[in-house]
Amino acid sequence: MKKILLAALMATLSACGTVQQPVNTNSASTSPMKFPCLSYSLSCGEIPVRKPVKKPLSGELSGNSEEGRNIAFTKTRGNCLACHRMKGGTQPGSRGPDLTSYGNLGRSDAETFALVYDMRWRSPDTLMPPMGTNEILTEQEIRDVVAFLQSSK
Amino acid sequence: MLSLSSSLRNRGRIMKILTLIAVTALHAISYPALAETDFNTHPRFDIDPKLGVAGDFSGTYKYWKDTQAIEQFASIQTNSDNEWKMNGKNMDIVEDDFHPGHLAVDEGEKLVNLWEHREAGFKSCLGAGTTTLEGIAANYPMYDAKLGKVLTLEARIEHCAKKVLWQNFKQGSPVNASIALYLKSLSDGLPIQIDVDSGPMKEAYLRGETLFYKRIGQLNFACASCHTPGSIMGNRLRGEVPSTPFGDVSHYPTYRSPVGEVEVLHKRFMRCLKQMRAKPLKPGDPAYVDLEVFYTSMSNGYPIKAPSIR
Repeated sequence: MKKILLAALMATLSACGTVQQPVNTNSASTSPMKFPCLSYSLSCGEIPVRKPVKKPLSGELSGNSEEGRNIAFTKTRGNCLACHRMKGGTQPGSRGPDLTSYGNLGRSDAETFALVYDMRWRSPDTLMPPMGTNEILTEQEIRDVVAFLQSSK
Repeated sequence: MLSLSSSLRNRGRIMKILTLIAVTALHAISYPALAETDFNTHPRFDIDPKLGVAGDFSGTYKYWKDTQAIEQFASIQTNSDNEWKMNGKNMDIVEDDFHPGHLAVDEGEKLVNLWEHREAGFKSCLGAGTTTLEGIAANYPMYDAKLGKVLTLEARIEHCAKKVLWQNFKQGSPVNASIALYLKSLSDGLPIQIDVDSGPMKEAYLRGETLFYKRIGQLNFACASCHTPGSIMGNRLRGEVPSTPFGDVSHYPTYRSPVGEVEVLHKRFMRCLKQMRAKPLKPGDPAYVDLEVFYTSMSNGYPIKAPSIR
């Protein structure tokens, strides 16, 4: 019995050590109850908006631009097209800046990553959803989107 | 000599103090945005509730303020960038006697008469004392002193069904929506007139206004993120262009052709919240009532259009 418990404990510990993406592997299924709502009685009515996070990019970007494009265009995922023109995207929105040739701007991966993750540390009143802070996209998905943006020339 | 050195020392001290003040002031000037930003709310707009629909902040009121204007400017909606400026009101002047909204009005009339026949008193409950139902819908939401709360038209219907008929005509149900649309049609063409100057209606207005600016949901949007100047309003949000909230409630409940049903205002709120990835509340929720009061005051003075199609 003790051995089994110990083995289970070891397995849990080693899993913690190797998993780099904690939780949130399926961003589309995040419950709305985790975020503020209009209710006077439900618990979500009391939740404050999550504080802005300036997320540093650790290590190489290692993003997949093909996947990033897919994420940016899919309504249930990043849906960046809702507000931005993007390379190869149809029916784009017009409120956000045109990103069709973002790759020519010379912005670093780290800055781009931090802004997609959460724009509010730079522009507090921005309309852009905090993609990372609010778990709309996973860190890897944001890396993919950044790769797509940098490849847009 | 002594006095000179002491005055020099003093000057040095004064300079130090001045520098300190300057640096402090500079800090205060450089970071006001961060210090003052309330991340829980969208920046507010001054809306004067006394102006009603004429207080529209989108600059589009002139295009849809009356039938004459709508007819005059209807052509601008052929340009997809300008379409939002009509605020959908061009849909209200098209003669269309056949859309299912008309069927819902007939259905609502039948239901009211049928239930009045079974249980006399249903009509006078709906009319809050009067059996003349013409014109009553233009004054909703209203504060009901007897019940001690603010009632929407749909809440009145639910209340009367329960009290007089022992029936559950739940808000958001087709039965409730049909009766609401029938009652609205009896006020067709009348200007919306609700009083938010004082008392519980003013309190509801203020709470509703706060909710309008509250950032909610996973996408961190407020109603205001799509429906105030400088927001997404007037811009393309993929296929759609959000328009002004002014004058909006006058055509609710409306027959929604893409959905294929009569949609009450609270169902529309639900649809918005789902798009914002926020917890949608049920029709009749107290938060929706407050939002409806705020929203309706932005249509004060604008004529009701019922039935309508969107």
